[in-house]
Formats: sequence, structure tokens, C-alpha cells
Amino acid sequence: MTGLRGWKLVILIVVVLASSSLAFAVQNDYQMQVLFRIALFAALGLGWNIVGGYAGQLSLGHVAFFGIGAYSLALLTKHSVPLWVSVLLGAIIATAFAAVIGRIMFRLRGPYFTLSTIAAAEVLRLIATNSPFTEGAIGVATPALFTGRYFWKLFYLSAVTLATLTFLINFWVSQSRFGYYLMAIREDEDTASAVGIDTASYKNRSLLISAFVTALGGSLYASAFQFIIPDNVLTIDISLQMAIITMLGGAGTLLGPVVGAILLLSASELFKNRFKESHLLIYGILIVVVVLFLPEGIVGGIKQLWNWIRKKKAPASAGATTA
Amino acid sequence: MLSADCCEDMSVVLHLENVSKRFGGLRAVKSVSFEMNAGEILFIIGPNGAGKTTVFNLISGFLHPDEGSIIFNGRHISRLAPHRAARLGIGRTFQIVKPLRNLTVLQNVMLGAFMHTGKLNQAQEEAGKIMDFLQMSHLKDFPAHGLPLAALKRLEIARALATKPTLILLDEVVSGLTPGEALALAGLVKRLPEWGVSVVGGVEHVMQVVMKIADRIVVLDYGAKIAEGKPADVVSLPVVIEAYLGAKYKELPK
Repeated sequence: MTGLRGWKLVILIVVVLASSSLAFAVQNDYQMQVLFRIALFAALGLGWNIVGGYAGQLSLGHVAFFGIGAYSLALLTKHSVPLWVSVLLGAIIATAFAAVIGRIMFRLRGPYFTLSTIAAAEVLRLIATNSPFTEGAIGVATPALFTGRYFWKLFYLSAVTLATLTFLINFWVSQSRFGYYLMAIREDEDTASAVGIDTASYKNRSLLISAFVTALGGSLYASAFQFIIPDNVLTIDISLQMAIITMLGGAGTLLGPVVGAILLLSASELFKNRFKESHLLIYGILIVVVVLFLPEGIVGGIKQLWNWIRKKKAPASAGATTA
Repeated sequence: MLSADCCEDMSVVLHLENVSKRFGGLRAVKSVSFEMNAGEILFIIGPNGAGKTTVFNLISGFLHPDEGSIIFNGRHISRLAPHRAARLGIGRTFQIVKPLRNLTVLQNVMLGAFMHTGKLNQAQEEAGKIMDFLQMSHLKDFPAHGLPLAALKRLEIARALATKPTLILLDEVVSGLTPGEALALAGLVKRLPEWGVSVVGGVEHVMQVVMKIADRIVVLDYGAKIAEGKPADVVSLPVVIEAYLGAKYKELPK
């Protein structure tokens, strides 16, 4: 087990170094911006994965935390809170918000839980749209965390940092009792409580971690695009994207969200340039194909293929016997 | 019926006193009382719908009684949440097996062991011992969803045993198995007290298993206790025969 662990960390370091060096190789601002979005959504997917993948709670309201991160940065800095302090405060506010709504939403199971997450995010969107405090639908300007000619490079590197951090959290989850408890909850809540797991409390804890990193992502996004409106940073589209990226790549796997973000965002960018408006159609077809043929996502599918090959090689003890 | 000082006796692990549970108009459990001692194997038997599973759910905190009290190791547990009951030392299996389907057998058992250790390798070691005891170590890397029922029944026991309970509830532990599988599993259940647990089993009709391994039997019918005692005595009682086979058989000679 430790050998495998070492391997995974080596791969991680290589991937992080390679993706960081992209910042020096790519000179085009547009490409840099696309890379920023890929890294950011890899981080968001990994954050979503803790709740939606490991704990198996299909949240479609994660944009709430994203939006809180974005609006905290905009509104706190307007009241002369230092830039990076606002980023951190935003994440803390989002975590506090998660603690409150988690207690309510996790009373519900399955599709009812999912609907309640959508509702929570929509309530925030409506408040942001109608409150003078957030300047409603007109939107607010957000300060840039970085300026100058390395603008996109620096944003890209911070997104890679956030993705790495979130990956390490996922890695810890996958190797710990905490993660095992989340997976038990995903598989069967009754069995989980029969082995002494306080299911409500563990679901809540997973949401807190997830909300924290999602809000950091929201701040980064808001700061990079320098202007936010509710329909932009509190739209259900972003929630859906986090979920789809993770499920496409493989929910509950370490690499799934990363693979999903790279594939989905680069595909949508390519199609957007080549097919103009019909790119959404292709995007949709891609999702349908994956859901139909790879229900466990790309990484899950590869894992299955790998197990199948291994079994073919060593058929000796295959098939479960009852002794 | 039972003296009030019952609960100070340390050898009494579990004591149900006039426990009742209603579901709407249906009285699923009617004023059931019994107690059991440390290291004992007690089986609750009764025809389909007699209330066995409800009793298990009441003891393990998945349901709470409307009346009466449940005392476990001298503590009232009638209102405890399931995970708290589990942490106090009540392990359970489910009648309709509930494995963690996409996890391997080893991981399933480790989840039980995690109650007492946060370390992965320690949990793995604990799980290994228990899988050895239940003769299922050769299955450890298989995902639970592919296993046949006999292995799943063992997995349920293994997972519960890994939490190091002092009381283990085995709901319909041999139902759906072939006679051979059932007897093999019964042999293992009989050895469970070696692990420091008392056993409450529930069985609908696999009587030869019960006769072999139970120290004592409680018979339920329509939610009420109709008999209690040693297996050989209980099965020949007219009320028991009547509950299982109907009134016209109770006069038949042995």
C-alpha cells in the first residue's frame, strides 16, 4: 500500500511541474485563459468530488459556495478589507453557510437532497439579484489579485495551486478512515450507521471541506474576470459543470475530476471555435455517450478494463466460492 | 414478572421489559419481555410477520419502542440513535443483506474495524483475523456486489464482528441458504461467544440450525411472546406447533 502511495505522489509532482511549466511555454493570452479555466474547474471538480463522489451526495447547488467566494471578494474589498484577507474570509463565510444549510439539507435523501441544493443556490441568486447591497443585476467590480503582463500566467498558476491543494485533500480522503466512512455512507446509509458512523455528521464535514475550496475557486474566478453579476457567478450552469466534469471523469476517483476538466473544457473550447453555436449540441452528445457507456466515468472505465485484463491473465482464483 | 434488581446483575447483557411497537394500526410488537446473559446464544423464532425484525430494529436503535424499556449492560438504550447503539457494543446484520456493494470484502470488514482504530493497516489486520475466522479470506479482494448469498451472509457477520461488539444481532442469518451452507454457517455462529459476544439470532423456519446452536429460544407470534425456554422443550409445546402449523396439528402425537 505504501508503494502505491509513493507512486501516486510521484505522479502528482510530475503533473504539477508539467502543468506549471505550461505557464512559461504558452505565450498567448487566450490560450493561457483557457488553461486557467481548465485548472480552476479541475479544482472545483475535485472539491465537488468529496461530497458528490466519495460521499455520494449529488449536490447541484455548489455554485452557492462559489458565488459566496466571488461576492465576498467584491464586497469585502469595497469596504477596504485587504485583498487576500477577503479571499480567506469568503471561504470561511461559505463554510459557515455550508454548516447551516448542510444541517437542513442532509435530512433529505436522494433526489430530494439534490432538489434542496438547487433551491439553496437559487435563493442566493435571487437575493444577489434583488438586493441593493450586492448592486443587484447590475453587478459589481472585483479587484484583480494580480496585475501586469503576467496577469493570466499568475492566475493560471494560482488555479494550479488550488487544484493541487484540493487534490491533496482528495488524496488524504481516499487514504483515511474519514474517506472510508464517506464511501460507506454512499454505499448504504443503514449499514454505515450499523458500524457506528454518525452519517449526518460525516456528510456535513465533507460539505464543509468542499465549500471551503469551492469558495476559493469562486474568488479566483471573480478576480480574474474582474466583474461579476448574479447570473454569472450564481448560475446553476456552474453547479452542473462541476458535477458533469466529475462524473465524466469518474466520481469518487482521484484523477476523475482532473481528466474530466481537461477533456470537457478543451472539447467545448475547440467546438466553440469550429462549430459556433452548435457546439452545445456536440457537448451534449458527448455527455450522453459517457453516461450511457461509461457510467463510472472515464477513470472508472479504465479501472474496470484494467481489472478485466488482469483477471484474464490470472483466472486461477476467479469466481467467488462459498467455502 | 421479572424482579427489579435484574439490571444490577452483571451477567445480564440485554433486558427487554414490556416493549411494544405500533405501526399505524398494526401492533408489530406487543409487550415483549426477555433477558439474556453474557455469552449466551438466544434465538428468536416465529412465523413470517411475527415481529422478529422489529425486535432487532428496536434493540439496535433503528426503531424506538412506543412503550417499555430496553436495557443493555445496565444502560437504558430505548432512545439511542443506531450509530450510538453500535458504539455501545451492539453489532447487527440485516435480514436483506446490505453490503457496501462497490467496496471489496476486505474494505467492508475494515469499516467495522474502524470503530476502534483510525489507522488503515491496523483496521486491515483486524479485518484479516475476522475473515480468517469466517473462512472468507480468499474473497477479500472481490467487490461485494458479485458475491453469492452465502458469502454475503458471512460478510454481514464479519463486518458486525469487526466492531468488537458485546452483543451481536443476526437477523435471518441462514435464510435463503442451502442446508449445507446453513449448517456450515451455524457452526461458525456457535463459536461466536469465543469473541466475547452474546448472540441474538432470528430465524423463521430453519429449525435444525436453531436446535443445534441455540442455548435458549424465545417464540414470537403476532408480535407477542408465546413461549420461552430450551430448544427441545419449546418446540414440543402445543402453542408453538399451533403458531407454525395451525390449530389442527397441535394434538398430533410425536
